[in-house]
Amino acid sequence: MQRPVASFPLAPSLKVKLINAGFQTTNDLVDLRPLQLSKEVGITHEEAVEVLQTLRCDSQTAQERASGGSFTALQLLQQEQTLGTIVTFCSELDSVLGGGLPVGKTTEICGAPGIGKTQLCIQLAVDVQIPVCFGGLGGQAVYIDTEGSFLIQRAVDIAQAAVDHCSLLADDAEQRKSLKEFTVEKILSNLFLIRCHDYVELLAEIYLLPEFLAQHPDVRLVVIDSIAFPFRHDFEDLSQRTRLLNGLAQQLIQMATKHSVAVVLTNQMTTKVWRGQSKLVPALGESWGHAATQRLILHWEGSKRLASLYKSPSQMEATVQYQITGEGFRDVPHSGPSRSHDDDSCNDTSGNYCKRPRVEGTQS
Amino acid sequence: MVVLKEGICPGLNEDMIKSLQAADIRTVEDFVSSDTEDLAQKCSLSYKALVAVRRVLLAQHAAFPVSSADLYEELLSSTAILSTGNPSLDKLLDTGLYTGEITELTGAPGSGKTQVCFSVAVNVAYVLKQSVMFIDTNGGACANRLLQMLQAKSSNKAEQMEALERIRVFRVFDVFSLLTSLHGLRTDIQRQASAGGGSVKLVIVDSVSAVLAHTLGAKQSEGMSLMMQVAGMLKTIAKDFNIAVLVTNHAVRDGNGRFKAGLGQSWSHVPRTRVLLQPVESPGNSSRSLRSATLTKSSRQACHQVEVFDLSSSGLSEDKGNSGKRKLDDLKL
Amino acid sequence: MTENGAQLFARLKGRQSLKDIEPCIFPEDGGPSQGDVVEFHGTEGTGKTETLYHLVTQCILPAQCGGLEVEVIFIDTDYHFDMLRLVTVLEGRLSDSMEKRAEENETEEKVRSCLHRLSVVHCSSSVQLLFTLHYLENSFCCQPSLCLLVIDSISAFYWVDRSNGGESITRQEANLRKCVELLDRFRRDYGVAVFASTHAIMRNYTAASDATSECMTRSAVDFDKPYLCRAWQRIVTHRLLFSKRY
Repeated sequence: MQRPVASFPLAPSLKVKLINAGFQTTNDLVDLRPLQLSKEVGITHEEAVEVLQTLRCDSQTAQERASGGSFTALQLLQQEQTLGTIVTFCSELDSVLGGGLPVGKTTEICGAPGIGKTQLCIQLAVDVQIPVCFGGLGGQAVYIDTEGSFLIQRAVDIAQAAVDHCSLLADDAEQRKSLKEFTVEKILSNLFLIRCHDYVELLAEIYLLPEFLAQHPDVRLVVIDSIAFPFRHDFEDLSQRTRLLNGLAQQLIQMATKHSVAVVLTNQMTTKVWRGQSKLVPALGESWGHAATQRLILHWEGSKRLASLYKSPSQMEATVQYQITGEGFRDVPHSGPSRSHDDDSCNDTSGNYCKRPRVEGTQS
Repeated sequence: MVVLKEGICPGLNEDMIKSLQAADIRTVEDFVSSDTEDLAQKCSLSYKALVAVRRVLLAQHAAFPVSSADLYEELLSSTAILSTGNPSLDKLLDTGLYTGEITELTGAPGSGKTQVCFSVAVNVAYVLKQSVMFIDTNGGACANRLLQMLQAKSSNKAEQMEALERIRVFRVFDVFSLLTSLHGLRTDIQRQASAGGGSVKLVIVDSVSAVLAHTLGAKQSEGMSLMMQVAGMLKTIAKDFNIAVLVTNHAVRDGNGRFKAGLGQSWSHVPRTRVLLQPVESPGNSSRSLRSATLTKSSRQACHQVEVFDLSSSGLSEDKGNSGKRKLDDLKL
Repeated sequence: MTENGAQLFARLKGRQSLKDIEPCIFPEDGGPSQGDVVEFHGTEGTGKTETLYHLVTQCILPAQCGGLEVEVIFIDTDYHFDMLRLVTVLEGRLSDSMEKRAEENETEEKVRSCLHRLSVVHCSSSVQLLFTLHYLENSFCCQPSLCLLVIDSISAFYWVDRSNGGESITRQEANLRKCVELLDRFRRDYGVAVFASTHAIMRNYTAASDATSECMTRSAVDFDKPYLCRAWQRIVTHRLLFSKRY
């Protein structure tokens, strides 16, 4: 089937030259040699080679797609099962998320300063490393810090709590053996920290990240804390910001899918006045709301910390309570009357995950 | 632009091309647009030969009119209406998604666009037993959720698996890959149709705005061109193969704070029917799965009709506590 | 060019005028006559295509039902043509004009005979549009009953052409300009009336905060700016602006 040249990922100026030299579709180009093409179109030999390569490579991927590039929903289901999730150590939140933070998807965590976004990110960066025999993923984490809010001491505390927790659970030889590898030091060495100071650095980092992920196939989590900070000002042209952000979101989703990593972005909240009422809404504008696959909003209700799943392709919206303790991100003890409305069934569900670390254990 | 070259048309030989080029006629457009009689004189070529070449070139490149009576006949026999499985939506859409047309769902983040796509896909795959192409551009495709919806419809595992196999998922995250997969899709469907195999009845793109929005707006017009190419491909697939196309688009607020479909004016002409999804906010109601659907564009029904439905009713909201891993454990594939 | 008898006859006799096609839209004595070019311009959802269906119906209806009973060619460039909708409009008009409740198959038969007067052609690029128009020249030449050419929409290839043309505006507009030259000849030499719709589309993103929200904050009048090539602006004799009022 003929495909117009204009639909290929080539430089616009190059496409103009090709089209105006009479090369409209792939059929016009497919039998040509680079030399011939460069002469007929008046482009350099390198450009001609690039054109022909793009065309061939694209028709190849089209064929791959036809044969195995796409998959049925059944295959996707199997894939989703093998990817697994990253637990948060807050069992109520885990059950709302369908077992934890999904790998292969992007999740945005929004919340006011001090609500615990960074705490949750560090918790996830530790939890992704829980050994497989404890029901974890045994992965590594990339942590892109744009605000300078990553505190190594917090990471040590949270990691220590996770190690202690697992050692309490260990009851067979395999688990005991893997515990020897699961130490605070090891956890910190599997956490790749990247500091970005502005949006240019961040964009460059994201551009390079796929290569890094290819070299480190065990990475299962990429955290960007936060996405909002580098984009909060320096933009005279807000539509440019929107474009950059939307493009970034697509890159991240692609990365999450291709390299099987969970991508976590944190975002700030901003006040929006609407019909005389002021309301806290996630920053970066309305169209950014479509960017991440899941959106989790952390917010206060009086002195309670609540987490609301606001948007998710797989789970229903729900709100649960959590707390930040010295050990990290945790459930609120169940004895309290302060249960949030729609989640009474959660008591039972934590039992479903037999190997999932029970939070109660750490509090002894 | 089609350049005059030897071999593109019988009777058009090298000498003829050379004399035409001397008269500054390089492309087929130039050739057919000039007066044949003048050309014959200017280039001292045979008028008869030129007329013959012109006729063949036109026949090669022109589209041919069809009597609308024949078109109507064909349409009556080939158009199908696919029920979405959601009575409220079916009502707005005048019984369902029409093949040959693009239907658009628009709404703010979290308004349930993807969920509606899932439930339509499940309904078409399970109830109507037709193949579905699901093009996922924002990582939203979630087979687990599809399975939950199927489990609400049937307890027969074999049937569930069969339906899942009827849904084909493509994952593309940029506009060029989207175009590649649409072109690939067209080739596939053509091949299937000629082989008489099982045909696709529904193509879902969730969402078009994810891959298009950020290419628009820069000063060069390439983004717009790519958007119109995507639109053209979707329409061609819909019309040529009698497929219903369902796309999602993000919503933006207009000057009065009303929601409106994104991607601007040029895109707004593309879908035939458009439905806006919005959460229903009712104080005291803890259920957050109620959605209102507003018909904002239609050639069949009066616009601005509103229907309210429950997103969770097509899935398993009641069993939320059991979601996640246990579901998967139940299902040893 | 040589001319045969039928062509000569068509030229001398002239085509039927569409002057009375729709008194609600065109002012008295201001309706489109032979060789007029009418532009239907508006944003999405303002009813351009619907109006075209109505006018086309008026043309293909038999005289006894109040129609003009002429032939029409409809060029669909957007793959937008909705046959079912046109038939609905047509059926409505037919049942209005028939004295008594006609038999089901009688209406069906009438619909079909009307539809025989309408030909539809799909074009997918401006190049194809140009070739198709050239191809159609012969029909206009030999069929005196063919009075109206509808193009819905003539602006469909604007963005693709603009992008493919690169920096040069002349090149961007080359195909459309050639099409317009041809249309000009149709209307001048053959007295064909041309109805064409143009989408009102925004043209400038840069000033807005959110690329997609800009169009909402501007009012409808900002979209009536003509943007197609000069040659087109020159041959248009009637321009209808469509807008929506909430």
